Parts: sequence; structure tokens; C-alpha cells
Amino acid sequence: MYAIERIRIIRSYLEEHGQAQVHALSGLLGVSEVTVRRDLERLEKDGWLTRTHGGAVINHPETVDPLMEVLEEPEDDGIRDEIAAVALRMVDDGDVVMLTNGSVNVRLAAKLEARSDLTVLTNDLAVALRISLQESNRVVLLGGDLDKGEKAVFGTMALANLNRFFVRRLFIEVDGVNADLQMTVNTQEKADLILGAIDLAEHSVVVCPADRFSRSAFYRLGRIDMGGGVVTNTRLADDYKSRIFASGVPLYTSVMAFEGSE
Amino acid sequence: MSRTRPLIELKNIRKAFEDFRLEEVDIDLRAGEVHVIVGENGSGKSTLMKLIAGWFPADGGAVLYKGEPVRFRSINDAQAKGVVYLHQDVQSFENLSVAENVYFGRLPRLWGLPGLVDLECVQADCRSLFADLGIGIDPALRLGGLGYAERQLVAAAHGYVSGADLLIFDEPSSAMTEPDRAILFDIVARLKGRGVGIFYISHRMDEINRVGDRVTVMHQGRIRATEACRDVDRDSLVRMMAGEANRNRYPRLSGRRGPVTMRVTDLSLEPILKGVTFTLRRGEILGITGLMGSGRTLLANCLFGGVRLHGGRVEIDGRSVSLGHPGEAMACGISLIPEDRAVNGIFPRHDLLQNMTTATLRRFRRGGVLDDLFMRELTSDYVREMSIQPGANEDILNTYSGGNQQKVMVSRWLMNRSKIYIMDEPTRGIDAASKVDIYNTMNDMVDKGASIVLISSEIEEILGMSDRILVLAGGRIAAEMSGEEASKERILEYATAEE
Repeated sequence: MYAIERIRIIRSYLEEHGQAQVHALSGLLGVSEVTVRRDLERLEKDGWLTRTHGGAVINHPETVDPLMEVLEEPEDDGIRDEIAAVALRMVDDGDVVMLTNGSVNVRLAAKLEARSDLTVLTNDLAVALRISLQESNRVVLLGGDLDKGEKAVFGTMALANLNRFFVRRLFIEVDGVNADLQMTVNTQEKADLILGAIDLAEHSVVVCPADRFSRSAFYRLGRIDMGGGVVTNTRLADDYKSRIFASGVPLYTSVMAFEGSE
Repeated sequence: MSRTRPLIELKNIRKAFEDFRLEEVDIDLRAGEVHVIVGENGSGKSTLMKLIAGWFPADGGAVLYKGEPVRFRSINDAQAKGVVYLHQDVQSFENLSVAENVYFGRLPRLWGLPGLVDLECVQADCRSLFADLGIGIDPALRLGGLGYAERQLVAAAHGYVSGADLLIFDEPSSAMTEPDRAILFDIVARLKGRGVGIFYISHRMDEINRVGDRVTVMHQGRIRATEACRDVDRDSLVRMMAGEANRNRYPRLSGRRGPVTMRVTDLSLEPILKGVTFTLRRGEILGITGLMGSGRTLLANCLFGGVRLHGGRVEIDGRSVSLGHPGEAMACGISLIPEDRAVNGIFPRHDLLQNMTTATLRRFRRGGVLDDLFMRELTSDYVREMSIQPGANEDILNTYSGGNQQKVMVSRWLMNRSKIYIMDEPTRGIDAASKVDIYNTMNDMVDKGASIVLISSEIEEILGMSDRILVLAGGRIAAEMSGEEASKERILEYATAEE
């Protein structure tokens, strides 16, 4: 079979199923897995799909919504999505959750579509917008002063609003974790909001991509063990993995090694 | 030997290893005394005994032996001075006869020449010794043909004739049934009558009162308490053994559990496993724990077809299957990631690529040859996802850390894309970072619909990672509990239960 024909079949398969496994395509097309991988690589270059471990998922053309476009961050290496996918597994239907502002939490907000009857509290405009598109979930956007850079609200009004809710699970996105496992954020207002939220939440989880470790922002939040868990990607240095384990906090990483059962 | 002066006395002993330390150990033993040592797996019992028997020196503290400060230079030095350690992996010579093993180190030489053993004399001696002790094993048999419980009896007999002043038994009865244990206790009583001092490591609570004078509880390399055996009750011992459990640092993500995928009914393998019955659901992590000799690893091997069963039934997805051979188990979608990768898994002189792909060569076969490019690509995928370092295809595995070797082992079996994974001691002896990687890999596996039987002697790990927990004791399932209702005390309570 010619490459052009294979690619047409793969495209129509993906349009129908949304995702595909390399071994399934290899069986379907009667060619080796290596050949399939090469085809997928080519389709990825054309922006058609994103390769995953053992397969690929289709790239949906972005909804043409000027507001969304403004809020969407341009770069994406897939790492934030991976981290968000792990965090999603901590959310059950019917939960009351809170997402503080940040780019990982925006990805998590999009993934919350897979759950229903959620009440989502947030100070992040992009998070609120994402949830507002989900039929079965409700969003509460905290009021307060709008920080134009962060596109999120902060201040005493936001904190006062927060007090009226019982949050079962809080996802804190931080901007830096240093070698002593001290967490930091970019503004004092953000630190205040997070500290206020931690007091109110039953469980707190820190989300932070590995490349923000060994980096310090200006405002100190506290040690990493003030949360009940940390979610990051697998690339985190061994030294941090060991130290977080030793400090008694569960460290969740986005390992995606298993290709599924045959 | 006076009643007041101990046979041996350890004061403030310290010893640090890479991943474990003994701290502030004070313990003593009198002549003619049986001093029982208890503690959970990894609490330092065997390490302390090895230190006493000259395997390695202490970093600090003092040892007084027969009233004199002493520092054994080696195992042989300690033995020459009357300290003999019978350790749990019954050190023995497979190709020699039972009699030679019993008298090893004291073999009579033919015409006084080294290397020539008067076999007839040894066997006659052994025969009358066994008749006296009530041991029904033929001294002329090759040791390699004996079962584990019989070897334990041979080891005890070896201790009996060793002429030691201080004898250390390390879990001497873990595989024994009641009649064998009676013989062992008789040996201990006779040694005691002769004035021999005995340290006796045990996991069986009933033995404390049957053989012991004093009992010491160890926990995380320290001594928690030493008491007269008649003064202690079982509950307080279990509490002391357990200590504080830190189960919260395990990154467990509970997923959706599906229908039962494996059903094991009445699985038996005499004399160890008896009527083992359990189910495993799709997407579930089922923890199985138990003390040394409870049958943990044997059960793992049974489920992977490594051992022929004496009875019982295994069903996979409702179909009855025969697991007579690992090949059959693999065809049923079962993979075993075995304990002790050094012996059962890693090919230390081969490269990373070979070590990764060896269980799944059929995946790479293309018309009679192996698709090298595909093997390399897939291996690189796993190296990246499992954070294997350094991770080049041509790296020879014996240059890798234990943690990275273990991640290679896990990857090898993940490549097999099985439905059911039996993981036997998956994190034993590896660094914390690799543990974190393996726990998160387990989350990934169950999230994608695989099921895991996690067999571990580390109770915290079992508590931290399991949806449901089975406690094995004496080859039986002594208890089943959900992850939420389980505690270290409850597990130890059942694990140490008498039959």
C-alpha cells in the first residue's frame, strides 16, 4: 500500500475514533509498526495529530472564539496536559473543587468536562470560561481586583467570597519550588489567596511542572508538605523525587509507560 | 560462667549502610538463655545478628564477649571463638550429602589428610545423631534433593553439633510444620541445658513463650524494648513491632474498578500453600503481604505457572485455565515481575536494548528477522517514560543502579502488554526516586485497565498502594481487608497469628 493511501486511511480512522494505537493501525493496514510510526510522525508535522506513547490523538481544530484565543497560551509542549490528566483522576463526580490561576489548571479545567455535577471555584478567567462551556458543571468566579497580566482576580473580596464555600479539593498551581522544597509564587496577592484557600479546603494538591523546580519566584508560600500531594511530570530530577518522598508527601508523576493490554 | 556476667554484651552499637542503619543498640545474652528477637521485615534483626557473627564491624560502640572487649575480624574468626550464625537462607552445599552438611567444618579426615573425608564414619555418626534427635532424614541423601523445611532441620542439627557457645537461629522454623518444630525446640532445649547462649529470631508469636526466656522488639534499626517472655502479651508486642506507619507518602490514584478478571479457588501446594482463594478485579491493585515463610513468593510463582500445583483452580475472565508453565500464563495475559532481579531477571552483561526486549521478541519479528529500528524506538519510548538513566541502548546493565535496573525489568514486562501483572517485591532495595517512578507506573497501568497483584513484605507500601489487602500466614489467607480499613497493627496481628 502506498504511503498516501495509508495516510488517508489513518486520517479517516482518527476522524472517526479520535485516537488510535500503533498496533491497531499496523494490523488494520497490514504494515509494520515502524511504518505506522513514520506515517504518524508525518501527520504530526502537518499538525494533524499529536503522537502519544503507543499511538496518536487527533488535533481538533480550535473553536474559533476570539475570547478563547486571547486566553489561550501560545506554547504547549504537552506537559501541562499530562499533568492535568493526572490531577483529573483525583476529582470525582459531584465534587466541589477549586483551581487557582495558572496554565496547568487551565488544562485541568478543560479536562473536567469528563466529570459531572462539579462546582468549580476559581480566580482564573480562563478556567472560568472553560468550565462555563461544560453543560453539567457549575463555575463560581471569585470577585475582586483583576490582575491584567495573570488574567485572574485577587484581593480581600476574592478571599471573602471564598469563605462561603466548602472546598473538598484544592489545586494550587505554584510558580517555583526551590532546593529546600519551599514553594514560591509571582505576586503577594497570589500567595495570600492560596494561603486563604488552603485553610478552607479539605485536601490540597500542588500542581507544578518539573521545569519550575529549582526556580524561585518572589513570594514565599511555604514548604511543599503544606499540601497533601504534588503533581508534576516525570522529567523531575531524581533528587527532588527522593526528597519529596522522604518528606512524607505523595508525589504523582505523569508516567505514561503502559501501552494498554493486548 | 557466672550468672551475673553476660555471655555477650553490646553497648551503644551503631552501623550505617547506604539505605539502613542500626542505632544505639544495647542488648545482651546470658549463657544457657534463649533470647528471642522479633520485629517486622527490615527492622534490622538479621543485620544485628550478622554484626554479632563477624560479617562486618560496627561503626561505633562496644562488644564484650565472655567479659572481654572483642572485635571479630571475620565470620571465621567469630566461629573460631564459638559464635555460629545459622542464617535464614540456609547456607548449605547442595551437592554434598546431608551428613556432610551437618558436620561441615568438623569433618573427620582420612589419614589426617585435608580433602579426604571419612564418609562412612560421618554417615554413621549422623545416623546415630538423627536417631537421638528424632530426625527422619537419610544422612546419605544429597542435600539438593531436600525441601526447605528439611534443610532447616539439617541446619538446626548442624548448629547442635557445631560446638558453639553462642548460637544464632534466624527464623529456623519458617517453613516447618508442627512435628518438625517439636524436634527443633528439643534441640534448642538441649543446647540451653548445655549452657549455650541462643539468639532466636522469629516471626511466630507462639514461639516466644515456647522457647524464649527474654524477648527483644526491634523497629527501624533500634531496640524498642527487652522484656522477660512471661511478662509480655501479644497485643503490646504487635503494637511495639508496628510503630508509626507513614502510609501517606504513597502516590496512589484509585481508579474505576471493573469486573473480576482473575478468580483463584482453593489453590494448594503442599506443604506451604493451603486453600488460597481470592479474586482480582480489572483496574485493581490487590496487595498481598505476610511474613517470611508465609508463602508470598511461592504464590507469585504459582500464578505465573512456575510451579506445578497440587490442587485448585484459576479462572481468567470466566474461563478456567491451566497454568502449568510460564508460557501458558503469558498466553493468558499474565506477567510476573519477579523478586530479586539479580537472580531472576536482569542479564547483567547484556545491553539495555536486549534486557528491555527479551520477553517480547515476537512483537519485533518481521519475516524471520527482528525489526531493529522498531526495537530501538520502542525501547527509547520506555526509557523516556520510565526515566531510566542513563538510558542509551548499548549500556551494559551491570553499570546501572539497582533502581534503574528494576525500571528496566518493569519496562520489559510492560512491553508484553498483559492484562494481569504480578509484581513481587517491586521496590525492594531500590532508591526512593525509582520507587516513586514505579508507584506512578502502577497508577498508569491500572488506569489503562490492567490489574496488579502487589506482593510485598513492606507493610507501609501495601497500605499505601493497595485497593484491597490479603494477609498470608502459614500459607493460608488469614485475612482480607479493604485499603481503608487496614492498618499496620491489623496486618501484623493476622500475619503473626498461630495456625
